[in-house]
Amino acid sequence: MHTTPATTYPGTIGAADAAAPSRDLAVPETQSTIYAWMLTTAALFVILALLGVYMRLVQGGALAGLESWFYPMMTLHGIGMAGLWFVASMACACEALRKHVLASSAVAVFALAGTVVGVVLLLVSVFMGRFAAGWYFLYPLPLQGEWPAWSAVTFLLALTVLGVTWLVWSLDILRAVAVKYSLSHALGWHYLRGETEPAVPPAVIIVTVSMIVNVVALVAAVVVLVLFYLELLTGRPSDALLMKNLTFLFGHTLVNLAMYLAIAVVYDALPDYAGRPWKANKIVAISWNSVLLIVLLAYFHHLYMDFVQPATVQYIGQIASYAASLPAAVVTIFGALLLVYHAPMRWTLASVLFFLGLMGWAIGGIGAVIDSTIVANVRLHNTLWVPAHFHTYMLAGFGIIVGHFYHCGRLQAQGRAERTGYHTVLVTLLVASACGFLAMFYVGGAYSVPRRYSVYPIELAHGATYALWAAVFASVFLLTTVLCLIEVVGSWRKGATGGAEAWVGKSAVAGSLRPSTPNAAIGTSAVSRVDQ
Amino acid sequence: MWISKSVPVSAACLLAVLVAPAGVGAEPPGAVSPTESRLLNRSVPDVPLQLADGRTVSMSSLWQDKPLLVTFFYRNCHGICSPFLGWVRDAVRDDGGSGRDYRILALSFDEEDTAADMRSQADALGLAGDPDWLFAVAEPEALARVTGALDFWYRLDPATGQYDHGALLAAVHEGRVARALLGGSGFVERFRIMARELRGEFIPFYTVPNQTAWRCFSFDPVSGRLYMDWGLLILGVPTLVAMAVTFGLFRRGPRRG
Ligand code: HEM
Repeated sequence: MHTTPATTYPGTIGAADAAAPSRDLAVPETQSTIYAWMLTTAALFVILALLGVYMRLVQGGALAGLESWFYPMMTLHGIGMAGLWFVASMACACEALRKHVLASSAVAVFALAGTVVGVVLLLVSVFMGRFAAGWYFLYPLPLQGEWPAWSAVTFLLALTVLGVTWLVWSLDILRAVAVKYSLSHALGWHYLRGETEPAVPPAVIIVTVSMIVNVVALVAAVVVLVLFYLELLTGRPSDALLMKNLTFLFGHTLVNLAMYLAIAVVYDALPDYAGRPWKANKIVAISWNSVLLIVLLAYFHHLYMDFVQPATVQYIGQIASYAASLPAAVVTIFGALLLVYHAPMRWTLASVLFFLGLMGWAIGGIGAVIDSTIVANVRLHNTLWVPAHFHTYMLAGFGIIVGHFYHCGRLQAQGRAERTGYHTVLVTLLVASACGFLAMFYVGGAYSVPRRYSVYPIELAHGATYALWAAVFASVFLLTTVLCLIEVVGSWRKGATGGAEAWVGKSAVAGSLRPSTPNAAIGTSAVSRVDQ
Repeated sequence: MWISKSVPVSAACLLAVLVAPAGVGAEPPGAVSPTESRLLNRSVPDVPLQLADGRTVSMSSLWQDKPLLVTFFYRNCHGICSPFLGWVRDAVRDDGGSGRDYRILALSFDEEDTAADMRSQADALGLAGDPDWLFAVAEPEALARVTGALDFWYRLDPATGQYDHGALLAAVHEGRVARALLGGSGFVERFRIMARELRGEFIPFYTVPNQTAWRCFSFDPVSGRLYMDWGLLILGVPTLVAMAVTFGLFRRGPRRG
């Protein structure tokens, strides 16, 4: 990979200008759980992706006799991947925030433990009870399926554990932000008034917006679960329209937030490689504040086929879906391009993955905007176009996460050389295989192959062909991902003393585990920390 | 489905520690009956019928020009049949659509009933001579085909000589079920909705025969208006909670030091 020497370009802020005030070493930092999250994410991602390959093989007709596991595995893969992406993004965002605010170390460990308990319950429900209601468990299916009653209850309990854990985690992050910033500063409202002080890192603004929205999403999940439990206990059914609205207010919002949190990480780390700061300003503040409102309305596009939903709400859904992509995505991607343009860019595995992640977000976002257009949705609804677009940005999001794990590892492994040639091969293979895998979904969608079919009937035989090709691409993708993850975990080796100690169980002090400036570890001279 | 019964029991056991188990083990009071929606779009067989006036007609001739509301009864019933036919008669009168928008067929499922029994049933309801109210009997095989297609169940209790049976009104449009109503609470209101649909009005609302908790919308079949219900408030709860929590956490302002 090409490495541009760090120089100061005209019109940019160079190393000296951009250097952040160093942290007071006496100020305690939240205990980092990033190492544990990295190992958990790597292990679960590989297992869940294997289930994805299994599904494509079944759809391709290559695994006769194993079809009966399709729907339980689809459920586990879907909820597992969406949940994993969310927690991994949360963990990375928390890691990025550690140098700005002091969150509770106990809550950070609690979040990890609660997530593990929730995952175990999910595994029991799916593997032992064959629970198979799909990742968003749309009402009333969980209570109506062919699986035993206890597996449905275990699934709901798993979601309760996860929901409560993540809610506590989100509230603690908000609390930590509130200790350091006023609400108007944390949301960047002073930029709207034309003020530039205090300088609030974009990551803080994005995380604050995301956590507020996250509380909405998780409380919606709590309400859905309470209504499920009430029905279980009293037999009184819930209103299906209310349940669907609440479910998507939760599910749709949660996966969007997973992306936003990953974006916060890019805002925080990409400048380290560009040798320039990425500061908050009026536009950044406007865009992320509008997200606060818009992202809560975009989910209506999941209810286009629900004729009971008033037509006005459907139009709001289309407008909000368009609007949601504009501020955050366009401003971020444009900002990233400006950041990189003519910068003393240092392309490493981390920065390349950040950049590819943003590109994947843009491509998947365009797919989503097409699908959220009512006239197009009439054709694309519930076809493979849907998994096509969300896999695009979800894979992109995971790219950012993996990039951030690598970035954190490099912070520990001072002075160790990077295997740039090998990384180039890995990234090329990753991109090529992901494109092949995703293209099969897109083509399937464009040719009206429905989603969630375990075996395609004869009229949809072309769906089986796409599935087989997708399985080949996905296998290459998975293999390359494993090699990539080995690199990422390996990146922590050199700094093993710091890394291993840092992950959990020790109260860390700023500066003791990390180099004073990240670029010192990465090897460039410019830094972009804009902390106050 | 067995799960719908066992889920409440298992859930109650698991959650007993958390919530006072008021309804543990009990059959849900207003359990959803899937029968109505299951019948939608079912094809109804075209069988010969003998009407009260002795004519034999094919069933399809009755739904040829307008929808046909089909209900079942037997003359000697000591139970639901007469009250149910009375409800249907009153609902039809109240709606005023008979003859214009639909006609009604009351089909006996008792093989002992004759055309004369049909006339006396029409008399008893004050419907004799109403050309849009048809009372009919059918051959056992034809009857079995119609009741089978509409999942209408009945069983003779030899001890009492009475039939154990349900109460159903199915709207058949061009040979297919357009709507089905089971007798029970809310029948008249749901009849009005069905009648509006048969007139070609789009009703974006379907009340299932149970006590759904916290609906988002309700439909007034008299005015034909959709209005917001309490469920919509629940949809606002997450946002209100998030706002309250955010302002609560940030209320004190940043701490110095
Ligand atoms: C090698 C990687 C992957 C493969 C092979 C794969 C494959 C699949 C397949 C075959 C389906 C079912 C499609 C259908 O409806 O017919 C699916 C669904 C899904 N996948 Fe993936 N996937 C992969 C990665 C991911 C990632 C990274 C995420 C999220 C971060 C994800 C989230 C989901 C979700 C949410 C569903 C929907 C499940 C449902 O409909 O209930 N997948 N995937």
